[in-house]
Amino acid sequence: MTEVGIKLAFSLTQIAVILGIVLLTVMILTLAERKVLGWMQDRMGPMEVGPYGVLQPIADGLKLFFKEDIVPAGANKFLFSLAPILALVPALIGFAVIPFGPNKTIELFGYQFQPFVISDINIGILYILAFTSIGAYGIILGGWASNSKYSLLGGLRSAAQVISYELNVGLAIVGVLLLAGSLSLVKITEAQAGGFWHWYVFAFPFPQIFAFVVYVISSVAETNRLPFDLPEAESELVAGFFTEYSGMRFAFFFLAEYANMILVSCIAAALFLGGWNAPYPGTLLPENLAWVEGVMWFTVKVYFFLFLFFWLRATLPRLRYDQLMRFGWKVMLPIALGNILVTAIAAYLFPRG
Amino acid sequence: MTTKFKAWLKTIIFYEILVGMKATLSHLLHYKPITLQYPHEKRTLPDSYRGMLALLRYDDGTEKCVGCDLCEAACPSRVIKVFSAEVPGEPTKRFAKEYYMDMTRCLFCGMCVDACPVDALGMTREFEWAVYDKRQLRLNKEQLLAIGDRSYPVREKRLEFQHPNVAFFNVAFKNLPEKES
Repeated sequence: MTEVGIKLAFSLTQIAVILGIVLLTVMILTLAERKVLGWMQDRMGPMEVGPYGVLQPIADGLKLFFKEDIVPAGANKFLFSLAPILALVPALIGFAVIPFGPNKTIELFGYQFQPFVISDINIGILYILAFTSIGAYGIILGGWASNSKYSLLGGLRSAAQVISYELNVGLAIVGVLLLAGSLSLVKITEAQAGGFWHWYVFAFPFPQIFAFVVYVISSVAETNRLPFDLPEAESELVAGFFTEYSGMRFAFFFLAEYANMILVSCIAAALFLGGWNAPYPGTLLPENLAWVEGVMWFTVKVYFFLFLFFWLRATLPRLRYDQLMRFGWKVMLPIALGNILVTAIAAYLFPRG
Repeated sequence: MTTKFKAWLKTIIFYEILVGMKATLSHLLHYKPITLQYPHEKRTLPDSYRGMLALLRYDDGTEKCVGCDLCEAACPSRVIKVFSAEVPGEPTKRFAKEYYMDMTRCLFCGMCVDACPVDALGMTREFEWAVYDKRQLRLNKEQLLAIGDRSYPVREKRLEFQHPNVAFFNVAFKNLPEKES
């Protein structure tokens, strides 16, 4: 009884901390996106709230919180309320298997705990893929339940896009799984320890650089970000699937989009760029402080990907729908399949360990 | 063959996208905003800025307007409405008894200013005329004179007190036939 209680308390603490960090990162991202976009376009970005506009996320949050919650006439009320939750929960639940720092255990009240990962399950990456696919339901149902043609079109586009690119994400990471021989994110990251030449982007038997490119492009498409933001194309569909949403429900979709961005960046960092591993062998800090360095490197990698999202958004125009589909099926899919083939042969010729 | 190969290579390494990303990154690194934080800092407007219209006065405070209706005739959007009358006690002189401008319709072309034979109309550099009620944009003579008073603090002398040559240029300056050269 006490064992269950202590473990539960520890897990809940971990969940609360990680949720807090993720939501804080979302807050930073909303500001950082507008600032970076502004700087890249010779603007200033938000400057009004607080010094240099740093309190803008708080102002936005308060505004969304106090906005009227409108349910359009003719909307399916149940699905309309369910959709934002269905979009947000899978985006947040994926963080349960992300290793944020070195895989070490601490002893607390006589029990072993892993402080930097909520649960190290052995099908970690599969679990994330399964749940992010559920997130697409939130978008599609939200688009359908709104009883609006723009929302419906946005939802349909999202359905087609997520199906096309989810496949590429899944196939792109198969190469890494072949090399690592595990589905657990902790084990995959541990296998990349000891310098950047061990990271799976550059790793020996067959560098996963093609898989990495395919993964990054497909994950941009999967999170509905520019240049693949057809489901919420402002100039065509008003706001796409969340045209009719307002107030906190809109904030849920917004949170889901940014949480998905963070999740996708975390996976990219853990699978291809060695997660918490530094680009040099070992650690610079002493043994008992090594975890600081690990967490720092993980954060740097994740923020690099998040910056890449903003960078792409500032640079590229939106793809046309047929271009999106052709690119997904005729370019990305063959590359991903070829990568699996070559990686499998390489992994067979050079078995690990 | 080599050009084809180069084109193919550029396609597979996303060369054009990389060029674009380099451009955006260089703008980020050499960050120099061209925008102004509008309510806090304002751009200096040129003298010839065509902003809010105003009625002007001479330096002794009398209105320049002689009520000739030429501005009303020149206005393409029928913004201006002039009610002309004799100056009481001076049968040879006229003035605008009432003068209205419906600024909701004005397109700031400046034709009324060009048409005025006595330069009684001027365009100011005011542009912050957003109001909650559009009826507030129907201005009468007093309001237009007040705009002129705050935008043109330096006033001309009355025509009869000016040097004849200067007065000649002042009056109907725009309507003179072009000099033959």
